[in-house]
Amino acid sequence: MILDTYFDNVGNRPLLTREEEVELAKAIENGDARARSKMIESNLRLAISIAKNFRDKGCSFEDLIQESNLGLIRAVDRFDWRKGFKFSTYAVWWIRQAVQSHVAGQSGAIKMPTSARGIMYKAQKFKEEYSEEFGCEPSFEEVATSVGIPADTLRSIYKSGSYAVSLDRPLSSDESGGRTFAEIVCGADDTDPGEEIDKALIRKLLVGALKKLTPREENIIRLRFGISEDVTDTKNFPLTQAMKKNITQRSK
Amino acid sequence: MSMPKGFKAKNGYATVGERGGLGYREIAELMTENGFEMKHSAARNYFLQGMRKLAGPLVDLYGLSKEEVDRIALDPRFQESVADVIEEGIEL
Repeated sequence: MILDTYFDNVGNRPLLTREEEVELAKAIENGDARARSKMIESNLRLAISIAKNFRDKGCSFEDLIQESNLGLIRAVDRFDWRKGFKFSTYAVWWIRQAVQSHVAGQSGAIKMPTSARGIMYKAQKFKEEYSEEFGCEPSFEEVATSVGIPADTLRSIYKSGSYAVSLDRPLSSDESGGRTFAEIVCGADDTDPGEEIDKALIRKLLVGALKKLTPREENIIRLRFGISEDVTDTKNFPLTQAMKKNITQRSK
Repeated sequence: MSMPKGFKAKNGYATVGERGGLGYREIAELMTENGFEMKHSAARNYFLQGMRKLAGPLVDLYGLSKEEVDRIALDPRFQESVADVIEEGIEL
């Protein structure tokens, strides 16, 4: 709700023309605080739009907007109108840098240096470009080569940079209840119930069919697979070295 | 252009060697020693006949055509599964 009001306020502010930007920049140089405020307030929309691009990086949107506003303020203070660029062209870099640096410091279970985040960003960009050009994902080694670091280092960076999600976090963005991640995430050793039922059914059928085999067929199938009911029956079921080893290991 | 030679299995072969299983010739020799004289080809035929008997109910279960019985019986993945079921100690 607070954000909606903020968006409404920001949206109502008119954008500056190039001439207005230059005038304001000149006034700021002369120490005009009102001009500085106007310049900042008129560009808050730009800050929000850049912050939106980082919403899925594990930080709260409000914080991202705060950080991008700080980047915007820095850009206003350093803008040089003499270079002839539009303010937004210059400010984008400062805003993005501020947000990226915040994301690097805040998100993820392990705090990573900005340089490592930079590498992840470069790697991601390379992957996207590669997929677009060749229609398939690059190999891990190719990505590592493209960013200029060994594959093992890149692997560790990815591992440390993965985002932690609380199991108690609700699935929907509406936090008023509903199911949590803990309810749907299965354990590493969990199996699909449908698959288990299928397996059990097939097993039952096979067991039924095995009973219909003639003794000779059964004997040959057992010999073929090296399976004896009695492992000491080496006459009918001569054990190979591999089988012997297996039995010895089991008995230890 | 010469004709293609030999038989190329689609899904490889069941890894009977790793399980300590025997080749058809060895099976034939053992069976002959035990009074059931047979050649390696007969051992193979008995084995495949057994596999077909086991594949039959699966074909019925999934509503497949009867021609599929042979394909399933020869499939090494199916043969491995049968070996697993027997190995798990289910009484025949």
